[in-house]
Amino acid sequence: MDPCIIEFIGEKSIIGIIPNFSNDPLHLIYGTVGPFRAGLPVHVPLWLGIHLRKQQKCRIVPPEWMDMDVLEEIKEEEKKSKFFTKMPSEHYMVVAQLVMSTAPDDVPRCEELRTIIKDIFDIRESKLRTSIDAFIKGEGTYAKLDNLTLLEIHSVRPILPHSLDHIARYQRMAEVTQRDTSILGLSRTTGTGTGTGTMSNSSLYTQ
Amino acid sequence: MSSTNKQFADKAFELLKELDRSSQTIPAFDDDGVRQVLEEIKAIFKENVTQASCYSSSGDRSLWPLLNYRHAALQRNKRCLLAYLYERMQRIKALRWEFGPIIPVDIKQSLCEPEVHFFNNYSKSLAAYMRAVGDGHGIDLTGNLRPPKSLYIEVRCVEDYGKFELDDGEVVHLKKNSQHYLPRSQVETLVRQGILQHIA
Amino acid sequence: MSENENLDVPETQLELDTDAALQNVDEEDDEDEVEQITAQKVLEILETAWTNELGAPELLQHQTDMLELMLSQVAHMEDQMKDLDKNDFRMVVHQMELERIRYIMASYLRCRLQKIETYTQHIINEDAQREPEDKRLSIEESKYAQEFVAHVDEYFNKVATQYMPNQQRGEAEQRIVLPNLMSHVFLKANVAVPAVIVGVDDEEVDLAPGSQHIIPYQMVADLIHKNQAQLI
Repeated sequence: MDPCIIEFIGEKSIIGIIPNFSNDPLHLIYGTVGPFRAGLPVHVPLWLGIHLRKQQKCRIVPPEWMDMDVLEEIKEEEKKSKFFTKMPSEHYMVVAQLVMSTAPDDVPRCEELRTIIKDIFDIRESKLRTSIDAFIKGEGTYAKLDNLTLLEIHSVRPILPHSLDHIARYQRMAEVTQRDTSILGLSRTTGTGTGTGTMSNSSLYTQ
Repeated sequence: MSSTNKQFADKAFELLKELDRSSQTIPAFDDDGVRQVLEEIKAIFKENVTQASCYSSSGDRSLWPLLNYRHAALQRNKRCLLAYLYERMQRIKALRWEFGPIIPVDIKQSLCEPEVHFFNNYSKSLAAYMRAVGDGHGIDLTGNLRPPKSLYIEVRCVEDYGKFELDDGEVVHLKKNSQHYLPRSQVETLVRQGILQHIA
Repeated sequence: MSENENLDVPETQLELDTDAALQNVDEEDDEDEVEQITAQKVLEILETAWTNELGAPELLQHQTDMLELMLSQVAHMEDQMKDLDKNDFRMVVHQMELERIRYIMASYLRCRLQKIETYTQHIINEDAQREPEDKRLSIEESKYAQEFVAHVDEYFNKVATQYMPNQQRGEAEQRIVLPNLMSHVFLKANVAVPAVIVGVDDEEVDLAPGSQHIIPYQMVADLIHKNQAQLI
């Protein structure tokens, strides 16, 4: 999946905004948004929130987890845990990136937040790399990926699934070769035909 | 066949390598190369037929390995040649998505007649499919290539294009170096063709 | 954004009620019991079909009905918006959403076409064995696939294969490209699924709702088909 598709999917996340205009509810296909009342917070999909913010029609209310204390705790937890901890948002990287790049003024301690979110992401990525390494060396074909977010899962693409596909292919080939060799061994004693049968008889060349 | 320092299927492999090396969208169709490969295939085939009939009448198996070897060479020739055509076909298909139903003149020169014919057929099938989707509602699949970011984009005109009418009837004059704020979906094609440049 | 509560709100001049069009469409199908489905639900189904299709190595079942519903809904809304000022707040927001939906549908259908073009003969052969209601190709796709195969054959034949001696039937079969069903995919369980075989050595795992896994596609193909799990 292309990173821009992951962002596109992440843009469905819900975010709070405080509009500076009023409008009746809108019945979008995915559901109803609004009503919009100037000065009163309302929840909208991120794609809409970002758009309205760009048009200077609202302020963004950062999600609760975009807070230094909360994130410090998550970071410590992530460091301590052998496994991946559950993130406060399925799309925390996309949300953080979009909100902080569009509306840095709406986010208190924006720069610090940026750093700590990146730290958390890095800790998780390095954990991910270590476990993939162990997974491949252990010749596994199946693994649980609990608590990994979409972006993280796809950060190992295409390398992870492709290398597993290749390993599986080699394994299958090794089995086939083994079978062929035993057939060849037989055919050598009986002296008929060749193993793989690309040309099992000369009728290919009769006209 | 018997010339020195030359291996079976050399030419066929070269066809592929040339195509891979070329920096052009599609290099010229290698008529000569394709013919040579086809000739080698026919020659190998003929030799094998002779040998096979000799084998079936006499039962002499001593040349069996040679027959097998040549058969593998024949298969490799076929495989390389078909891979060459297949890869060209992929690029010809890509033209349809990139440039629409008409092949740019400079690229068309590189195609052989059956390739142009294939392009036209492909183009027609795709257009018919796109029109028919959703019980005749239709959908243009060659647009909306990337997830939408905003409805309008800032563009700069790279070359003089002239008048461009928007869906709502508004007409903009696309003059070289002029800048416009236009609906993304309506100018996507012009951006892809390099007439407009998207300014971030 | 819970279920659309405005089901019974009559359509006002400026209100773009998303349910109205779907009801109309359903009424045209007068044969069967009219089954109500909200536009929201249709969108959800299409989104899942889209990500499944992007992740699956093989072509999945077509979604003609859902696509038709959504395309007519989009057309209906565009029609209603015609008279709105293009800078109207409502206009812009609806347009943005429609753009997103159009992208999903286009990306979904493109992904399918790509598979159809790559595995054409294989897909046609498989579909020929299936019951009408299980066919993977929609009617339009099926026509497209048939035409595509004919065009490719014609091209290969004109340029090369007609000059090749003694074309074997078996060789044409050898050239059929098959998807690698054992390729690894990312999966999320929608419901609890007990005892899924996850490896060649018959190792079994219980999938908890919401749990995520990497696994060879073939092991979970039927779970996706039954919507017990989805690809991510």
